Amino acid sequence: MPTIIREKWSEIKEIFYAASQLEPAERAPFLDESCKGDDALRREVESLLSSSRAAGNFMQDPAIGEVADSISDEIGKFHANKILHHYKILKLLGAGGMGEVYLAEDMRLERKVAIKILPARFAQDPERMRRFVQEAKAVSALNHPNILTIYETGEIEETNYIASEYVEGETVSERLLDEPMNLKAALDVAAQMASALQAAHGAGIIHRDVKPDNVMIRPDGVVKLLDFGIAKLTEVRSGSIGSEAATAIAAHTQTGMIIGTANYMSPEQARGKEVDARTDIFSFGLTLYEMLSGKRAFEGENAMDVIGAILQKEPIQLRHLAPIVPQEIERIVNKALRKDREERYQTAKDLLVDLRNARQDVEFQDKLERTAAPLQGHSDTQIDDSGTRNIPKTASNAESAAAGIKHRNLGFAALGVLLLAAIGFGYWFLFDHSSNSKQIDSIAVMPFVNEGDDANVEYLSDGMTETLISSLSQIPKLNVKSRASVFRYKGKETDAATIGKQLNVQAIVYGTVIQRGQELALHIELVDAETENALWSSDYKQPMANLVSLQSEIARDVSQKLKIKLSGADEKNVEKNYTENAEAYQFYLRGRYFWNKRNEDGIKKAIEEFQQAIEHDPNYALGYVGLADSYIFMVEFADAAASEMVPKARTAIDRALKLDDSLSEAHASSALIYRNQWHWAEAEQEFKRAVSINSNNPTEHIWFSVYFRNKRQFDDALSEIKRAQELDPLSPVVGANVAYAYVLKNDLISAVEQSKKIIELDPSSPLIYELLGIAYLKQKNYQQATVEFEKAVELSKRTDSRYLSSLGYCYGVTGRRADSLAILKELNEKYASNKANGQNLAAVYAGLGDKEQAFIWLERDFDRRSFGLPEITWRFAFDNLRADPRYTDLVGRMGLPQ
Amino acid sequence: MNRAEPETSNITEMLREWSDGKREALDSLLPLVYDELHRQAARYLRKERPGHTLQTTALIHEAYLKLIDRRDVNWESRMHFFAVAAQAMRQILVDYAKAKHRIKRGGDNIRLSLAETMSVVEGEKGVDLIALDEALNKLDRLDAQQARVVELKYFSGLSLEETAEALHVSRATVGRDWEAARAWLHRELSK
Repeated sequence: MPTIIREKWSEIKEIFYAASQLEPAERAPFLDESCKGDDALRREVESLLSSSRAAGNFMQDPAIGEVADSISDEIGKFHANKILHHYKILKLLGAGGMGEVYLAEDMRLERKVAIKILPARFAQDPERMRRFVQEAKAVSALNHPNILTIYETGEIEETNYIASEYVEGETVSERLLDEPMNLKAALDVAAQMASALQAAHGAGIIHRDVKPDNVMIRPDGVVKLLDFGIAKLTEVRSGSIGSEAATAIAAHTQTGMIIGTANYMSPEQARGKEVDARTDIFSFGLTLYEMLSGKRAFEGENAMDVIGAILQKEPIQLRHLAPIVPQEIERIVNKALRKDREERYQTAKDLLVDLRNARQDVEFQDKLERTAAPLQGHSDTQIDDSGTRNIPKTASNAESAAAGIKHRNLGFAALGVLLLAAIGFGYWFLFDHSSNSKQIDSIAVMPFVNEGDDANVEYLSDGMTETLISSLSQIPKLNVKSRASVFRYKGKETDAATIGKQLNVQAIVYGTVIQRGQELALHIELVDAETENALWSSDYKQPMANLVSLQSEIARDVSQKLKIKLSGADEKNVEKNYTENAEAYQFYLRGRYFWNKRNEDGIKKAIEEFQQAIEHDPNYALGYVGLADSYIFMVEFADAAASEMVPKARTAIDRALKLDDSLSEAHASSALIYRNQWHWAEAEQEFKRAVSINSNNPTEHIWFSVYFRNKRQFDDALSEIKRAQELDPLSPVVGANVAYAYVLKNDLISAVEQSKKIIELDPSSPLIYELLGIAYLKQKNYQQATVEFEKAVELSKRTDSRYLSSLGYCYGVTGRRADSLAILKELNEKYASNKANGQNLAAVYAGLGDKEQAFIWLERDFDRRSFGLPEITWRFAFDNLRADPRYTDLVGRMGLPQ
Repeated sequence: MNRAEPETSNITEMLREWSDGKREALDSLLPLVYDELHRQAARYLRKERPGHTLQTTALIHEAYLKLIDRRDVNWESRMHFFAVAAQAMRQILVDYAKAKHRIKRGGDNIRLSLAETMSVVEGEKGVDLIALDEALNKLDRLDAQQARVVELKYFSGLSLEETAEALHVSRATVGRDWEAARAWLHRELSK
């Protein structure tokens, strides 16, 4: 723009406006007069006048008319049945400041998904979008039951979207529309939220927008925390950006404030300061406050009011709004809501611990009300010194128990007194439901709930559960669901009917354990899964020293109530606990507890515990079995050398068998050791023995199935793994193995059906993608297999060498040499730290066509007696090596058929 | 990012800071207003049938009611608010135009909305908001007040009287600015 115009702009403007008000004929003389021979000035004015004439209706109507259609488009951008990639939009679920959410069908995987379309303005900053996506995936990859699983993110028609698990249910804010939640429900939701936050914070991810809208409650009570980190997208950096201020909206941020509902902001967010984990804790506190009271902690007529309140005011004390809320819970809420974050709970973990304790107290108090109330008045006279049994209860009491949970504010101080009164006498009741007369032939034992004040004795509740499962498994004709099946319900409140359906059982055993000092109190309940009626319940109280006999007693009682006629031998099996020494038994339970953690720390601790168990009772056969299992797991989960661990395991198991040759577990472990040593005949014999003693242990069937697979007896492999699945229907790993067995049998249709089941069980499991990859390998569709393995590798965060190996193989076969070599490098590093075996590298070399290297790596595995080496007999990656004499030789040396 | 953070995100406070010449206050304020306006626009359109005349002023008014404490707000901050809202509104509408532009360029799958079919009046060419936005930036450097007038009048849909009130100038001044700006911008867009 010429400087002259800039300098004279106000003059130009004046002259232009004046001229424009004149009749055309009057303009020229006016301009002659006004411009006084300044040609540049005059030209500019005339140019503007002519532009003004041409402008017509230009800008006469407000700008919004130009984009009205776009705005309305953004409300319900997509209509039903619209196809986007492999998604079919079914309906709009909701819309808000953070975008729209649709229910859609993933046509590829035939499952329902929720698709969130992010507002267009988010897309303006790809870097921020990328970081958000990365974080969202990371938190999803935690695989936490209370965190919404994200399947995929991407772009549809230049709109960013997130495809996630579709959760049916209602949000906490919807739930609160009518009335506040009851105490127990609120605490249940709170504990699950805190657990999700703990996991996310552990991974360094802050939610930033915890509020009732973002908490979904499924009908089965499982809580999902939604929209992790999404708030980050709308954060705005505070500070100046210059004249184009509006670009601040899309600016990169590190610190900043959140736009959105002000009601759930933390003081530091309201101030625009940097947020951290404690910010989520504050917002969590606000949500819990609202669940308990039905009212928002901070309200105002407008955002400013609310923010002011958050910064300065204290909310109304909970006790005034919800008198039933115990003091302890009020204390928790208040501590979460401290304005100074230094004074808050510092971690979600601390918060969770307090919440769980509080919840246990509430539940316990509840139980006391249920059980103690009808007996009040004669408790003094009816205390039974032996503490075990039995005061008959009337049906009406039982019904009041079944009627569920009421909340009264008894106060925690009274708890101890009541507790003493209540556990002084046990009782049992039995009442006449028709279901009681039918024989029960399938049962699930829910993990006992540890209600004591010491969270460290969880081994006890877990262990007693396991022992009962194992005892009941001894009963012929009784289908008892495995530990793996039932432990997924741990810590969740799932109703009996749902469990009954999911596990396909007729009855469910619930138990609670309280250890106070040297005393142990138990409450056991047998519930009809169909009617949800309690069939029987009983309280037990014993000194810890009687733990062993107590377990036998429980097992006997439960089996009796199941109306199963037991032979004398069966009865003996049911009651046998393999040691009379309560301390040894406790060490054993602790050992199994740690063993089940299946990680290095856990297994090392397990070894110590089992050793202690044996020390206390040198004739404790199960103790030696535990020890043997731990040594084997040291190889599988703690990267220990097989050559060192196998002999130790063998010594332990031989000892166990010598002590008790009728122990199914011992034979199974013995079989496993033989299998891992490639002593096939001995392995088979031991597997058969184990299964003939007890056919109800899914683990044994899984091990047996792998045995058959290695021997390429795919029919037998399938039938064993299917048996394991019957016993453990909810395990994704077992499911994946079933699918795998179908692929090996070339029954791809059944394999796909199985895969779908796994998707239901665990939608984010890399196993599904591995399976799909394997199925494509079977069809020699390497391109597609590559895609699937890439996904598996990604979901496992590149930790699983098996997925990496398959992917590297595919890269090699499809000519992507550089990618293949990169994976080799990765695997080489893992191999150096025992995180990969030679077979993993050999497969990649096989893909590259480098047989020399492939065999070198396989021989390394052979030299190390790698447990997994027999897998080469069925892994497709080795198909091209099978004609080679070196392969025949190697397989022969492993004692396998060629 | 070592800049001092504002001690409060109190909107009225920010408005005052801004009117006291603290540029950063506007940067904090704009996004809040942007979001609220956006919400109001969406809400509005959900209620109104497509094709209905859109009252931008009404949107701003709604946003204003939502964001500002009426009890202790004075006339002056109300005007400041309108000025901020106008900038936010401009940004919102330009963002929409950009989004629309991208979609038109790329997609065949986009449903032609009812609003779109109804709002396309025969023979009349719409205003290219993206180009206008750029031209307005130029005008801003030449004559900031004219740019504000355009934001208030055109982007926020205020009347000349309201615009004058918001800018603290006379109706006549605004009229002059508006006509000059319109001519100037039209020329820019015709280039």
